[in-house]
Amino acid sequence: MFDQKGQIRIIEAFLSVAVIFSALLVSVTFPSTSNLIKQKSLANTGIQALMKFDANGTLGSLIVQQKWAYIMEGLDVLLPVGVSFNLTVYDANGRQINPQVIQNSNLLSGEAVSVQYVCATQSENVEFFVLHLQLAWAS
Amino acid sequence: MPSASIDTFLASTVIVILVLSAMAGTTKLMAPYLDDLSNRDEAERFQPLASHLLLTAGTPTNWGQLKDVAPDSFGLATADPSQPYELDIDKVSRLNSANIYSLTYADLWEALGVKDVSFNIEIRTLFEVSITVVSNFTVGAATVYEFEVATRKSGMPVSADLSSYVVVQDFVNKTISSTSSSGVGSFAVSVPNSLNGTALLLVFARARANSQMISFSVYAFGHNSETPLPNQTFTRLSPLDYVLNVPLAYSTVEVLKAQAFSFNHNFSLAQKTIGVQTLEYYVPRLLDSSPMILVLTGSNVSTSFAEWVAYPQLPLQTGADFTASTAGSKIVSQSRIVTIDSVLYEVVTKWGGLSGNV
Repeated sequence: MFDQKGQIRIIEAFLSVAVIFSALLVSVTFPSTSNLIKQKSLANTGIQALMKFDANGTLGSLIVQQKWAYIMEGLDVLLPVGVSFNLTVYDANGRQINPQVIQNSNLLSGEAVSVQYVCATQSENVEFFVLHLQLAWAS
Repeated sequence: MPSASIDTFLASTVIVILVLSAMAGTTKLMAPYLDDLSNRDEAERFQPLASHLLLTAGTPTNWGQLKDVAPDSFGLATADPSQPYELDIDKVSRLNSANIYSLTYADLWEALGVKDVSFNIEIRTLFEVSITVVSNFTVGAATVYEFEVATRKSGMPVSADLSSYVVVQDFVNKTISSTSSSGVGSFAVSVPNSLNGTALLLVFARARANSQMISFSVYAFGHNSETPLPNQTFTRLSPLDYVLNVPLAYSTVEVLKAQAFSFNHNFSLAQKTIGVQTLEYYVPRLLDSSPMILVLTGSNVSTSFAEWVAYPQLPLQTGADFTASTAGSKIVSQSRIVTIDSVLYEVVTKWGGLSGNV
């Protein structure tokens, strides 16, 4: 009943639709401009929170004293409600020095951004620390 | 019907169905992205406006201290900031409508100079302090009040050190305590029964994580008297340029004492001038990282009162009322941490088109 021309047209139809959907999928996987703006804004919020936290050398002091709970609580207060974070502290040699996780929730729920901040102790023997802060809006 | 026609018909049908499905799918998938594109301009435009507001001093740069001057251009930063997002204590205080030198939203909107934008500014402490009276009982010639204080940010506990003062007429009693990791603490204060009238409990809470994170709260209660009248019934306390301006609401009001309180210190204020139904007091500049609470005690006929104001005069919210905006209008909200006199606060700015009430 079906001749070869008809079969070819059906195959053509499938192919064309496959092309259309592939194009769509490719375009969707690119991050939208709006998401980039939101991520940039979140990164700005994170870096500003760290800067304000460290305005009087508090961060370096808390790291030296290993008061990780206070650092977590301070970030909780400084960051907007609904932002989840995860902070990792490295020494000048790149070794992680926080033995416990500094986070308020897991970041699996949203697209995370990462910011890096360098702080130092305000003492005679200056120590440097590199802080990696990951942030995401909780969904 | 020839088989070729049936094949063509079937193929055409399949193509049409698939193309229609693809169009529907495309519309569904692309809708949020197209919406994002239309929002992009607003977000990109309002972000620099918020930064401009908090990073520039405006014109003249000392407009906060000039009592009767509205700024030509709007900016809240100090004239000579030592760090970004450092705001001027007087510019902030003039945003509070309770201050007699406050600016109207029309003044601010005019000074911002962006005609097709409406905005709202909210400045508040980083976390909240709530006070509850647990009990009171008499011991000898005094009444002991037990209070519970909770320090939280949006329900999340904040462990803090507390510095509390109870003020009745010229009596002051200071108590040091703290809240636990659950954000709750309690303490008791004793007030002599020889006094009566409005009593104020001032609580300063300093987060243990950072000494610049300070919040405060004031609780008024009647000591050997009825429930106090609302704050600023008898005066309209307006601090500006480190002077406390006190217009008196009634000619019968007599002022007993003006005092300033911070986390670590409290002291009496020296009088600057006495006018017709108005007084002025000098407010000292403290190196202490703490907001100040200025308290005025006095009497009106037979009523003893105690009234207060914070300096900077916070919390405040001014600007367009976006709650009345039409549905679908786009509002961009931005939060920033700022410093005012070495204390950290949160500023939330909201921006939108001219749908808000100007």
